[in-house]
Amino acid sequence: MTALQDLNARLAQKPAARLEVKNLCVAYGTFRGPFNAIDNVSFTVEPGTTLGLVGESGCGKSTVVKAIMNLLPEATTVTGDVLLNGKNILGLSDKALQQVRWTQISLITQSAMNSLDPVLCIGDQIVESILAHEKIPYGLAWARAAEMFAVVGLPAARLREFPHQFSGGMRQRAVIAMALSLNAGMLLADEPTTALDPIMQDQIMTRIRGIHEHLRRSMILVTHDIAVVSETCETTAVMYAGKLVESGATADVLQRPRHPYTMGLQNAFPKLPVRGTSRQPLISIPGTVPNLLMPPRGCRFASRCPFAAALCHAEQPELIQSSDGHAVACHFAERAPEFRLAARQAETWRAKEAAI
Amino acid sequence: MTRASTPAVVTAENLQTHFQARAGLVSALAGRTPPAIRALDGVDLTIGEREIVGLVGESGCGKSTLGMSLVRMYEPTGGDVLYHSEPVTHLKGRALKQYRREAQIIFQDPYSSLNPRLTIGQIIEEPLKIHGIGPALERRALIARALDHVRIPASTHLDSYPSDLSGGQRQRVAIARALVLEPRFIVADEPVSMLDVSIQASVLELLDELSRELGLAVLYISHDIATVGYICNHVAVMYLGQIVEEGPAEDILAEPLHPYTQRLMAAIPNMTPGAVRSRIELKGDVPSPQNIPPGCRFSSRCPFATDLCTSVAPELATLADGRRVRCHLYDGAIAEAYPGLTPPRAEIAA
Repeated sequence: MTALQDLNARLAQKPAARLEVKNLCVAYGTFRGPFNAIDNVSFTVEPGTTLGLVGESGCGKSTVVKAIMNLLPEATTVTGDVLLNGKNILGLSDKALQQVRWTQISLITQSAMNSLDPVLCIGDQIVESILAHEKIPYGLAWARAAEMFAVVGLPAARLREFPHQFSGGMRQRAVIAMALSLNAGMLLADEPTTALDPIMQDQIMTRIRGIHEHLRRSMILVTHDIAVVSETCETTAVMYAGKLVESGATADVLQRPRHPYTMGLQNAFPKLPVRGTSRQPLISIPGTVPNLLMPPRGCRFASRCPFAAALCHAEQPELIQSSDGHAVACHFAERAPEFRLAARQAETWRAKEAAI
Repeated sequence: MTRASTPAVVTAENLQTHFQARAGLVSALAGRTPPAIRALDGVDLTIGEREIVGLVGESGCGKSTLGMSLVRMYEPTGGDVLYHSEPVTHLKGRALKQYRREAQIIFQDPYSSLNPRLTIGQIIEEPLKIHGIGPALERRALIARALDHVRIPASTHLDSYPSDLSGGQRQRVAIARALVLEPRFIVADEPVSMLDVSIQASVLELLDELSRELGLAVLYISHDIATVGYICNHVAVMYLGQIVEEGPAEDILAEPLHPYTQRLMAAIPNMTPGAVRSRIELKGDVPSPQNIPPGCRFSSRCPFATDLCTSVAPELATLADGRRVRCHLYDGAIAEAYPGLTPPRAEIAA
């Protein structure tokens, strides 16, 4: 057996990880007081599954990823637990973290433009991350990097090239290859296709789905694109203004949403027309996201929700899980079927807009 | 053509905008000039009154160059831009300034296109001052009307700064600034791509209403072909500086013909449960506009390309249903050269 086969076999033995996030709260320190970017977020990623974390800009989805990777700035208050295979990795020392990052949990970053070193060739950057964790010869690490390039569909000869010689899509693939290099049990992908053209986006997502099928790693896919989630993820969690508002099996959450925000997101999402069927108009959600320096007392979506009652403005709803695993944070979750019908009418949201 | 017979406002005729790249040191010393960047290479397009034409394609295909050439931020290097049948291609000085009252542009990023140090009132007043319109009192009335069009209450927002506004409100202010000169033609260059999904719809709806109420001709530029279906009557698809397919929006979205359009449409994730997208695989990357392949520009990536495609450039041929496609599969050339080869049809619907 060659040394490379030996290394590959050893890395392949790593099991997919289970990640449990419990009551995670993150407050950024600002001059105007704490900014509660994440408020009591809990979810679980079962081994070998993909969780889609969706929400709009500023809802805290990237902060969740940074908190899991312990990448938040120092003046940040983080509480709660992040259990990776049952072990809390929140607030570990740098030395302890080194045993976790990249070997057990790796990150596919949002902007492949800025996450590669411009003065090192791509191959050396991948080798660097392998050698930081494995005591193996340079040549062997290079061979492993070449294999990872093959997995993402790049020719091994281009390992010697520099980031500026790559197109945006190729850079993103190189970053994916790097994240796969030690076969970590948990992959975090933070908006991996956001800055790319539609065809390239599609090619990268197809690649990510293929890798997921093939390697069966656990994954969190952070995105604002609910269509990508519906094609890629087994479970979906929807965030709004720092809180988890709905989670469950993807088909349940996206086809039968129980939270008015998820319903609104569905209606606002542009879809391709299907010939012979009349199309739903696009409906926007009126109003704006509340300022998290002064979060509202009640439900954070109440100011934009067409179904909000006095209770919603007074009291925060808890995230309550029903027996089918579908969790929703809404005081009137049992009226969801009725809300879904009303939410498809543009007038419902327009009436709310007039009231704001 | 089968288009609604609205009078043409802006027409591009065989429009070319080439940029001269700067020579590197070695080439400069050797006296060589690098090849021109052919950003726009023979574009024909008409935008009529009350019409929203969607322009889609990948980054670098020349969509923004076309928009900016039409409002004369760039001076085209060939062909013509006609405004109400009058050429405005090479206008200069006062005449150009006059044309710019008629043709305005809205940019992609409302966070960088508004001056953070000016109030909303000042931002919208600026074009009026530049064009020497009215005493202050009249200007104020015009500003109030422009804000009214975009549904921002002037009473509360005239003295606020862009930083007080949300992204959607900022983009509305940018639209108001474009409207205040009462133009007849507006280029909207990716106006919603920086906005959150939940508020995109309201900005699209606003463009749609303005076009109908004010009779505006609008060129809506976007890489997101799904949003195009909601507001555009007519769609043009660009690839490497040329239009490859053009026609009524519903035809192109429901049944794209050009292999590139088919691939572009298949790239959109589908939320319908159980839907299967059939994709044709493309080879390689978009070629550089400095080094355009011979024959059909798409032939270097097209899975259906034949010898004919790599040697003879196809024309934008008009089909029986009025749509125009630049592909040998549809202009009869392939059928003649390779009997039995049929045009590919993509299945888009679930």
